[in-house]
Amino acid sequence: MRYVPREPRDGINVSKTHALVEAGTLVAGFSLIFVLIVLVLVFMVELALLFVSPEAEARVFENWQPGDLVAVDADDRRLAEVDALTQRLARHWPDSPYRFRVAINDSEKPNAMAFPGGLIIVTTGLLDRVQSENELAFVLGHEIGHFRNRDHLRMLGRGMLLTLSLSALGDGSGAGLGLTIADLTLRGFSRRQEADADEFGLTLVHAEYGHIAESTRFFERVADEFGGDHGYYEYVATHPSPEDRIDEIRELGRQRGWSESGPPVPLQW
Amino acid sequence: MSGGQTLNLFLNIGFPIALLVFAYLIGSLIERRHFANIRKRESELRGFPVTTFERLPERWQVSSAGLVSGSIVVSLDYFKRVIAGLRAIVGGRVKTYEPLLERARREALLRMTEDARRAGYDAVINVRLETSRLANAAGNGNSTAGVEMLAFGTAVKLERR
Repeated sequence: MRYVPREPRDGINVSKTHALVEAGTLVAGFSLIFVLIVLVLVFMVELALLFVSPEAEARVFENWQPGDLVAVDADDRRLAEVDALTQRLARHWPDSPYRFRVAINDSEKPNAMAFPGGLIIVTTGLLDRVQSENELAFVLGHEIGHFRNRDHLRMLGRGMLLTLSLSALGDGSGAGLGLTIADLTLRGFSRRQEADADEFGLTLVHAEYGHIAESTRFFERVADEFGGDHGYYEYVATHPSPEDRIDEIRELGRQRGWSESGPPVPLQW
Repeated sequence: MSGGQTLNLFLNIGFPIALLVFAYLIGSLIERRHFANIRKRESELRGFPVTTFERLPERWQVSSAGLVSGSIVVSLDYFKRVIAGLRAIVGGRVKTYEPLLERARREALLRMTEDARRAGYDAVINVRLETSRLANAAGNGNSTAGVEMLAFGTAVKLERR
């Protein structure tokens, strides 16, 4: 027997497919699949909403409080003020099935959220920053708008279904891609919802005060505080950027012929 | 509000993409250079017999023998890991891992052969390859810090071939 020296050959154990082609195929394919899944989930939530009347929701969640989000401070006079203002605004939506309640969450970030059963949670960061009743009224009106459009249930339903679907993927790169795609897909829907809630909020504010002065002041201040760095990803931001939002609100006011000037009502705290 | 969102978006999308691009560029550069290095050393060792015979061919007269081994520990880059993670959902050839393991096999064999030649042997017979997985730092078995590829065999010094 003779030993014939020979070098190992390339290309036997390694696929010819370029790594980037493999990556591109997988990422594009899964992105498409995830977009479809998210659209199906959105559709399922819309379908489910047909079976839950606002009245049933208001009844079931009448006294519900998410304990970990709410920091009730009985001494905070602002709670009573915000609550009273909410009730005044809600009077301009006579068909509302909700008995609105307000709670304060101790968080530095200015925010307000709508929860099932007519619960509105505002953060201390928001209360620290508003400087007139009119500013606060628009933020509360916006949240009431979410209730009227049932967005709070949409967000809850989508979040639950999404978490459930993504948990099937474990914590690998599939879940990471899925979350990113879901986030980007849902932004389109949520922008529309935010604009609709703004419109209803502004309607309530105008009905209450007879003008819409100061409605955008809060956003102007937030825009100043957080600087101009939100410009980059404006097109995908959850809320329209404060500037866009201010423009849209002003434009809406002009269309309806609502006065932008009027005496601001000072806060009682 | 928006500043936070921009930052969030950067952390959630921008940072992983930047890391992916970085990992791909550096990873493929290292891979190309390693393959070039492997081919060069393989051609230098061209005439050195490395076989999987368990027994000596009859006409070989062996004056001495000894164990030789070569091993390498390789790790995945982030790009390969992410793409393989997607691949794992649908199954199929994990194409991004193949070149990595090919490098490991050939490098381990080269180190073993180089060891044998340095020690003055003429051939290596009964060559075996073994792989073991290294636990990651967390030690939870969910992922791996890398694999070790070990090549070993019996090096022989011949009087006459």
